[in-house]
Amino acid sequence: MTIAWSQTVPYLVVLPLAGAALVPIVARRDARAAGGFTFVVTLVTAALAIALTVRLVVEGPLTAHVGGWVAPYGIELRFDRLGAWTAPLAVFFVLVVPFAWRYLEGTVPRDRWAAFYALMLLNLGGLIGFSLTADLFNLFLAMEVVSLSSYALVAVAGRGTAAWAALKYLLLGSVSSLLVLFAVALLFALTGSLNLPDVAARLAAAEPSPAATLALASLAVAFAVKAALFPLHVWLPDAHAIAPSPVSAVLSGLVVKIGIVGLVRVMELAASSGIALDLFGELLMVLGAVAIVMGAFLAIFQDDIKLMLAYSTISNIGYIVLGLGLGAPFAVAGALVHVVNHALIKVTLFLAAGSIIHQTGLRTLTDLRGVGRTLPQTCAAMTLGAIAIVGLPPTAGFISKWYIGLGAFSAGRVAYGFALVFGALFVFIYYVRMLNAFYFRTPTREEVAAAVEPPWSMRGPVLFLAAACVIVGLLGGFLLAFIMPAVGDLLPAIRS
Amino acid sequence: MVLFGVDVDYLAFVVLFCVGLYMLVRKSNLLKKLLGLNVMETAVFAFLVTSGMIEGADPPIRTAGTGPLFANPIPHAMVLTGIVVAVSVTAVALALIVQIHAHYGTIEVDELKGLP
Repeated sequence: MTIAWSQTVPYLVVLPLAGAALVPIVARRDARAAGGFTFVVTLVTAALAIALTVRLVVEGPLTAHVGGWVAPYGIELRFDRLGAWTAPLAVFFVLVVPFAWRYLEGTVPRDRWAAFYALMLLNLGGLIGFSLTADLFNLFLAMEVVSLSSYALVAVAGRGTAAWAALKYLLLGSVSSLLVLFAVALLFALTGSLNLPDVAARLAAAEPSPAATLALASLAVAFAVKAALFPLHVWLPDAHAIAPSPVSAVLSGLVVKIGIVGLVRVMELAASSGIALDLFGELLMVLGAVAIVMGAFLAIFQDDIKLMLAYSTISNIGYIVLGLGLGAPFAVAGALVHVVNHALIKVTLFLAAGSIIHQTGLRTLTDLRGVGRTLPQTCAAMTLGAIAIVGLPPTAGFISKWYIGLGAFSAGRVAYGFALVFGALFVFIYYVRMLNAFYFRTPTREEVAAAVEPPWSMRGPVLFLAAACVIVGLLGGFLLAFIMPAVGDLLPAIRS
Repeated sequence: MVLFGVDVDYLAFVVLFCVGLYMLVRKSNLLKKLLGLNVMETAVFAFLVTSGMIEGADPPIRTAGTGPLFANPIPHAMVLTGIVVAVSVTAVALALIVQIHAHYGTIEVDELKGLP
């Protein structure tokens, strides 16, 4: 029975990719049917991921060797405690796809629906593949699947501005992808292996060489671009704000996390190969702290709600990176939990913002004054999401930020603890601005006064996610307990 | 190949990579930026292929005619796959450039910056 379960791991990747190939065929009959088909594929993938997570808790990490070729020669897929984040990942897709059914009407031309759904499934397959693979070259390939589908998804709504934002994203993203490929080539030339644990073992056995450090450094820079860590974030705001809202939710909540998962992989590799990364940890802390404050600071000045949410993502990536850099067990665990929590909150916020934009046709805070009166349910969801991202208890954002802060103070890094608090203060300011506009101002635009709540296929996922923000916050201890055993593998990298 | 203590292959790769990066960063024309990206890709592929050439190693399948120079087949497979990825990226980028031109009437970055 054990073998049977571990052999289902590759299907997590295969299902969405095969589904993506079938979407255009389904869409030839009826563009609407493609949406239903995509939903079913994401649902099956999510069910499998959840089942595997349960098996993981019962019997430990599941490993599959593609095609029966054992590691280090074959391609290895590992479903471990870090890889288990594919379960919430797939669940978010299950919620985003039904939201897109009605959202696409009027925003994306009908002949592009097939492309939209196919790209969403490709994105999901790539994200899962990236999170599970233990093979360096497949890491690069999965990353490219995610990146390419993301570029295309940004442009899918089809106007010239979207294409320009997508191209900016593409040019920076491709350079970072090339750096990853370069690092893979370097590590392969050094060790003659592509399997991550095997590469680490061979690096540990060999004499320390500057080339290995160069490889890890270029991996780190590349993943920092993918994660939109502060000075490398320039591609993010435009791409995330211009994309259709379901795409923004996926990009901002999930796709930037491949940079974080990549950084975690670098830490793992460094930890198990004995390469000391003191400077790396310090750099992560400084950049993380700067990102927290600058991201939140820039968000204050945005009038466009989606642009504001995009800057808030930069700030939250700062929290995660700071937590990883601190290297205290609490901070790292908090950072890993925040990967999931931020995904949940940001998907909620972008879908709620998308509903508001879809129902009113307006997207700036000035225009949206008083929208809380005409769209009470959607705005309540948005408010819950805002409270969660500020990190007020008992919502999802609280426990992860609390542990990152706790880690900062316990590691004696008081300055970073204060950066965290200041960041939270800025975040509080801009979300108070938003709530003030929504609830305490009189409508100035007649579109706002005439707006009605969106159809249930859009409202349902938004309300469900908003409820989840609170429920996950209350159950945050379970997430921490789940991730704690994985933290130990990452730590020697920074401590040594 | 080693000349004057410098590995010329790797040096060529570094130079090519920097030329590509320079084009990507400095050129204003989007098409030229894309060409720069392609040059960088070629540089990484060249490095990947070169890293598979090991003098004096045993080839995995030995027949009567095989010589002493051994080429590791794995980097070749990786480069082939990498080229497919690079072509896809180029195709997507070109499609986006066509859309940008249709909408704005220009593909010069300094002219695009002022436009909404």
